[in-house]
Amino acid sequence: MLSLTVGSIAGTPTVARRRGGRASLVLLPFATLITLFLLLPTVSLFWGSFHDSKSGSFTFANYSYLGHPIDLVPFRNSLELSLASTVLGGLVGLLIAQAIVSSRRPIIQEIATTFSSVAANFAGVPLAFAFIATLGAEGLLTQTLLGAGLDLYGGGFKLYSVLGLTVVYAYWEIPLMVLVMLPPLQAMKPSWREAAEILGASRWQYLRHVAIPILMTPFLSSLLLLYANAFGAYATAYGLTTGFVPLVPLQISNLINGDVNYDPGQADALAIGLAAIMAVCIGGRAVLESRSARWLSR
Amino acid sequence: MAYDPLLARIDQLSDSYTTRQIDRRQFLKGLAFLGLSLPAINLIVAACSTASSTPSAAAVPSGMPGTADLIAAAKGEGSIYQTGIPPEWVNYQAIFDLWKADYGITINGTSTEGEYSSGQELDSIKNTGKPDVGDVGIAFAVQAKTQGLSAPYKNSHWSDIPDTAKDADGYWCCNYWGAQSFVVNTDAVKIPIKDWKDLLDPSLKNAVGIDGDPTKANDSFFAVWSAAVGNGGGVDNIQPGIDFMNQLQTSGNLTAARASDTNILSGEVKVAIKWDYLGLAVRDKAAGAPNISVTIPSSGSLASPYADIIAAKAPHPNAAKLWQELIYSDDAQLLFLKGYAHPIRYDALNTAGKIPADLAAKLPAADLYKKVTLVTNIDKITAAQKTLGTGWKIVINS
Repeated sequence: MLSLTVGSIAGTPTVARRRGGRASLVLLPFATLITLFLLLPTVSLFWGSFHDSKSGSFTFANYSYLGHPIDLVPFRNSLELSLASTVLGGLVGLLIAQAIVSSRRPIIQEIATTFSSVAANFAGVPLAFAFIATLGAEGLLTQTLLGAGLDLYGGGFKLYSVLGLTVVYAYWEIPLMVLVMLPPLQAMKPSWREAAEILGASRWQYLRHVAIPILMTPFLSSLLLLYANAFGAYATAYGLTTGFVPLVPLQISNLINGDVNYDPGQADALAIGLAAIMAVCIGGRAVLESRSARWLSR
Repeated sequence: MAYDPLLARIDQLSDSYTTRQIDRRQFLKGLAFLGLSLPAINLIVAACSTASSTPSAAAVPSGMPGTADLIAAAKGEGSIYQTGIPPEWVNYQAIFDLWKADYGITINGTSTEGEYSSGQELDSIKNTGKPDVGDVGIAFAVQAKTQGLSAPYKNSHWSDIPDTAKDADGYWCCNYWGAQSFVVNTDAVKIPIKDWKDLLDPSLKNAVGIDGDPTKANDSFFAVWSAAVGNGGGVDNIQPGIDFMNQLQTSGNLTAARASDTNILSGEVKVAIKWDYLGLAVRDKAAGAPNISVTIPSSGSLASPYADIIAAKAPHPNAAKLWQELIYSDDAQLLFLKGYAHPIRYDALNTAGKIPADLAAKLPAADLYKKVTLVTNIDKITAAQKTLGTGWKIVINS
């Protein structure tokens, strides 16, 4: 309190340094958390990925998966699945979010937000089971459609495939998109539109020159969040496919707790590969975020 | 005093028992049939045992496992401490009841300890020194011997037990096993499923499932390995099993849905390859909705046993030995079978005609079990796991 008062009066370099010291003290719990649960594990992953699990000696062998096409299949599957569920979740989620904002009824907005928060977090084994009961070979929807003459499984659809998993992932990707896109959509000021109309802009021109440029950055950064979210998901995929659709997170789990393929060093190397992809996604999001922030701050 | 038919019947049974017209088991059954509670039965049996004891004191009521000396020594120790022997598993509760009725010796050990995994059991033996006996997976029984955690003892039915299922020095002995079987939803599957090749039938699209990822779960690992038995491989060669699974996968018959109880009951998995005891239990649970039949592949499959060990530093060594005598006795072995685990003396009991017809009717035919191979060689298990590690990638990525 004292330093704040002094600072507001003087603002000399010494006082500023003292304020900086106080600020870093406040950051201490967060810094500890980040160090213990993010930095240290990352360092340990990195170290482990270059050491042999059994002998402990330095090796590049853990990264040999990069040269084996069959070991890259999980990466291909994970990339495809994440991309497909991001596009599906992103587009549908955006439309729903816009519809909610356009409704201009607080009650609808509140219900939708609450529902989205719940649905976005409904994952894992219960979700897998719900989908088996709905879209499995004997699922309710599958059988109903079969009765109506549409044979999903005969047509090549399988719940236990990249396509099936895309549908399942969309279940939480759509509400997540709604949640992250509602704030920027709500922040679009009606006065911007009115101003454009007064100046004679058509609906399309308003979208093209005002709305889309402002919303493009939050939209793209939301997509990146969805993408990273899908890439790291584990429990739902395992509950549904028991490893028959190889994905990177499942592969890592096999290496660290499988009875057969126990090799934590190789798991570390896969995790570094996963982390590299995640870092690109999250870093990209941060860059885009900073670009749009100045427009959306009220 | 008014004539009481119940008392008269108890008198009559007790007479038959003390004069050895009926054996102990028949006596217990008779008393239980009269609707008496367990404490009441114990009282009556105790009274009769005193009455029937002869001056030699060496006689053990017929049907009760163990020698008089061992029983006396175990009773002197007063209790037994168990780990990894949970009451709901393979009918152990009934075996506990039998133990209490026969010897009246207290069984100790918390329910958490009862649920211990094999690895935890060995840790508990090593670290607490409390347990007398444990029930562990075969690999852990071998490990217990090498780590000096188990003590040798050969029960009186030792010669009935196949050589592969016991340690030559008596440090462990298999007590029961499960075999890989076909668990078939007969409402959905209209063709007979008798052998591995039947699983390739085009009508079985997305129908055949295994119980988890074979590189992780023992059940599905043995499913793949058993497929080798029916396709030119065997205990020494798992590769034909991997190839067969690959064939199932490319034909579209293998589903990624796990052969769990839920997925079997809902019909999501129509033919499950999994342990027979799990399949028989889910069949009973389904009770006709859907109709499920459990069979052993006619060209054979593999079985994985559990083994008994006595802790090297057992605080109650005689009670531990008596426990071995009990669980390898006819009565307890039949109780395992009633819990759908195949007792290790199954062949001996079957040959002697000791398996009740009503129990046999609930199980896959005894003949089919003749083609089942018991896997107890740890080196072969390790080798098969290694081959699977690389081979399975090809199956799931094809």
